[in-house]
Amino acid sequence: MNDMRMENRVDAQTVKIEARKAQVFYGTNHAIKDVDVDILDKTVTAFIGPSGCGKSTFLRCLNRMNDTIPSCRVEGKITLEGEDIYDARVDPVQLRAKVGMVFQKPNPFPKSIYDNVAYGPKIHGLTRNKAELDEIVESCLRKAAIWNEVKDRLQAPGTGLSGGQQQRLCIARAIATGPEVLLMDEPCSALDPIATAQVEELIDELRSQFSVVIVTHSMQQAARVSQKTAFFHLGHLVEYGETGQIFTNPKDPRTESYISGRIG
Amino acid sequence: MNSDQHIRSAFDRDLEAVQALIMKMGGMVEAALNDAATALTQRDEELAARVRAGDAAIDALEEQVQSECARLIALRSPTATDLRTVLSVMRIASSLERCGDYAKNLAKRVSVLVTMAPVGGSAGSISRMAKSVQVLLKDALDAFIQRDADAASNVRQSDQEIDQFYNAVFRELLTHMMEDPRNITAAMHLHFIAKNIERVGDHATGIAEQVIYLVTGDMAEGDRPKANSLTAEEA
Repeated sequence: MNDMRMENRVDAQTVKIEARKAQVFYGTNHAIKDVDVDILDKTVTAFIGPSGCGKSTFLRCLNRMNDTIPSCRVEGKITLEGEDIYDARVDPVQLRAKVGMVFQKPNPFPKSIYDNVAYGPKIHGLTRNKAELDEIVESCLRKAAIWNEVKDRLQAPGTGLSGGQQQRLCIARAIATGPEVLLMDEPCSALDPIATAQVEELIDELRSQFSVVIVTHSMQQAARVSQKTAFFHLGHLVEYGETGQIFTNPKDPRTESYISGRIG
Repeated sequence: MNSDQHIRSAFDRDLEAVQALIMKMGGMVEAALNDAATALTQRDEELAARVRAGDAAIDALEEQVQSECARLIALRSPTATDLRTVLSVMRIASSLERCGDYAKNLAKRVSVLVTMAPVGGSAGSISRMAKSVQVLLKDALDAFIQRDADAASNVRQSDQEIDQFYNAVFRELLTHMMEDPRNITAAMHLHFIAKNIERVGDHATGIAEQVIYLVTGDMAEGDRPKANSLTAEEA
């Protein structure tokens, strides 16, 4: 399937994250079964599937967010640029600086807008002085397309912004540590259509710098923002392919049923 | 193919409605072709007039199909097979509308031809050609409604018979014109009729290709067989 939209063409073929036979267990519950996937660099990859299919669980494996759940066990191999992220020598905090995450509900820190963005670079020691920090804060707020709205009130609390602004602030915070991959777990589900469109536009811009992986319940959103789509069902990765192909001519009948609204 | 029901039943109703419109349109076009061919052999001007008048209804139906499809895309965002169904319905509607125009044109020429002397048995050959094309169109539409890619493939293969038919009629008319120049006006009309019927055959093939796309998700591959044996000087 040739995608005619130039800007949406999957042009980067470098594999950023590679998962082989990934398994996730919550206690005895086998939540993710034998998932093999190559996430490409500078590409938006969408994970779709019905509730409970494991798409968020798998997303959280990619920056070891599941480590925080005691009963959760991950098997198989997941590598970031060839390096096993579950290796004992990998520091999850450093990993999460490289693989940033944006959550479903905007969750700014109860601090100023400035500090929300500055927090990551500060604790990771990414800057030497205030001027550099100011620069990072401004550039991240600009990249997150919120600079013009907040530049005059950087010291105001982040929680005082509107929902859509808060979510863009969280995206600015996530990219402040200079990540290589950005994971987004339903980043627009709490936003109105305008804010959603702004965040989607932003995702498309961020793609030139990072690999973006987005979990979404909105199939239209997956179709709009992603170049690659993965369909999960009952813990299996059923189909993974170019987004245009998945939405016009899916190969697996389960994908077809799901995207055309026949199974929930 | 997916024959399961949608969770939203209104979606199924909409999809069925546009397909029902296509089948209705197909029936009208087939009848128009058939009647026009009969009018040609029977030299029945009244029947030809009815075919001419009937084209407006086909055009109106095409417009209705296109706007229903636009509405369906806007409101339901169809994907996968549903999307391919809507796309093929839109293309088939355009093809059928064109075929209706050819039938109308045939009927118009019949009104002229009845005022002239018949050109040998050419009207009969052309009428038989029209009836085979009508069968081809019917088979293509049956393949559509049954989602039968094999049947569609057969239609695609059979179009070469129509091409052969056309080549034979072309030679026949050429002979009549060379024999007696007074036949030229009538023969030219008959030739346009034959050419238009041949075009209807191409549209039937196009519909069959849409069916293949609808069922398999891929455009029909390879050149379709053509029986174009006219030499350069003849063509």
